[in-house]
Amino acid sequence: MIELAPNHKFGLPIATPVMPAAGAFGYGDEYHDLVDYRCLGALVTHPISLHPRRAAHPPRIILRGETLLIHTGHPNPGLNAILRQFRELWARLGLPVILHVLAANPAEMVEVVDKLAGETAIHGIELGLDEHTSVEKALALLRSIRLNSDFPVIVRLPFSGVATLAQPLAEAGVDALTLTSPPRGVLPLPEASGDGSPPLMRGRLYGPALFPLLLHQLHTWIPRLPVPVIACGGISSTADARACLALGASAVQLDAVVWRHPDLLATIAKELAYDAGNTAL
Amino acid sequence: MSKHTTAIFCEAHPEPPFWRVQFETLNLPRPGCFLLADFGGPLREVLFPAGLSAGGFSVLVPPGHPVQRLLPGETVDLLGPFGRGFQTEQVERLLLVAEAHLLPPLLPLLEAAPMVTLVLAAPTRALLPPARRFPPSVELHLITQDGSVGYAGTLETCHGADSPLLEAVQWADRICASCDSAFYPKLARIVRQQRLNPPANFAQALIQIAMPCGVGACEVCRVQTVNGERRACTDGPVFDVLDFGL
Ligand code: FES
Repeated sequence: MIELAPNHKFGLPIATPVMPAAGAFGYGDEYHDLVDYRCLGALVTHPISLHPRRAAHPPRIILRGETLLIHTGHPNPGLNAILRQFRELWARLGLPVILHVLAANPAEMVEVVDKLAGETAIHGIELGLDEHTSVEKALALLRSIRLNSDFPVIVRLPFSGVATLAQPLAEAGVDALTLTSPPRGVLPLPEASGDGSPPLMRGRLYGPALFPLLLHQLHTWIPRLPVPVIACGGISSTADARACLALGASAVQLDAVVWRHPDLLATIAKELAYDAGNTAL
Repeated sequence: MSKHTTAIFCEAHPEPPFWRVQFETLNLPRPGCFLLADFGGPLREVLFPAGLSAGGFSVLVPPGHPVQRLLPGETVDLLGPFGRGFQTEQVERLLLVAEAHLLPPLLPLLEAAPMVTLVLAAPTRALLPPARRFPPSVELHLITQDGSVGYAGTLETCHGADSPLLEAVQWADRICASCDSAFYPKLARIVRQQRLNPPANFAQALIQIAMPCGVGACEVCRVQTVNGERRACTDGPVFDVLDFGL
């Protein structure tokens, strides 16, 4: 077992260090025909907000070489609807469920954790922070979870916010950190003509080109952080996962690569288990 | 059954303006359903069958598509079939409506009913497939924007008294469309005007948009309907056209 929340009273133990990233895997069993869920360390849900959110206007995806720019707007039907639809399934899944939560402010976060009271199928919260989150706001969001619930808390840091947010959050008692959410990017729309300034699409970047950036972050920050770190961004092979773990990451999250190779989650989990002398997976 | 499968590439030949590519596989998609094929890019590619046979399916791809680099006998890694396809059971008079560049997913339906009418639109005659490609039993109505053949206009503007589309909508007992999604609210209006209380799924509309995951996990494929947002990959990609206009 790998402990993602060693300082938490209940802890957050996971059986394998491999899990999907928020936004890559849906809310529950969307991949039941394609993925062996027994190989996952945890299910990290699609980002969930207190109130329903609509999708961003299309186009929502642009391909440039191996890199994807995606802007979905994190559509979701809101926490109540998600809980109604998935709590029974989560209870049956047989693996820890980590709810990825988006909250605009601490008051909203309090409402979220109030609604989660008594939800036994949820094992932890991963709080998603956007690029503009200040240290004060990040700490206030963490406090509002801590004071109102018993859930282990992971914070997924924005790519550009690691330097400012990681240490204050670790000092404030976050259980683990996910490094990082996808960096933001901008690309001209492919159908734009050459005249004038082209219409642009803003969004999140995915793809193997991000992997060296991830390793740089892990290399810089893991030695300075007293909490477990989950690596996320551009991981697309067992060798990538091994490199993250070798730098001290406790677990890895796979993002857009899952859409192309859903079986990669199980493949990496099995190969890492084999490395560790566990052939039972 | 696992949705991870393979197909064997058999051959590809030009069928202007496309290339027809034939695969052998046991996991056959229904018309309107789709597969996600791994051709080596960062995302899988959406394949709609353009032809179905006992042991395989064919797709139409644009020239220069990576599938043309495959050698006969090579295997292609597939996910699927996914989605909700066209329902054409027990239909006598089937109307197909398409823009020429979006026609391929409708081709498996050309003989899906005793009587089939195809209303096909393109900017100009050169962008239409030759009439001899269609079975002789199919009644063909052409619409070109420049009037080079058939009705002069577009699907959007095709609502005059002599419109082949309005007449065909009155005639049909099922409509299957593959058009730009901007046209579907208009098609919904035409259906409501021409038919009294059309039953559910009387007119079905295929949405062709990016579908990276195919299973409802990425939220890239959301489409707006009168009943709220839906996912093209799992709720569609074939929808009741009335979902796009009250
Ligand atoms: S293709 Fe991913 S949700 Fe539809």
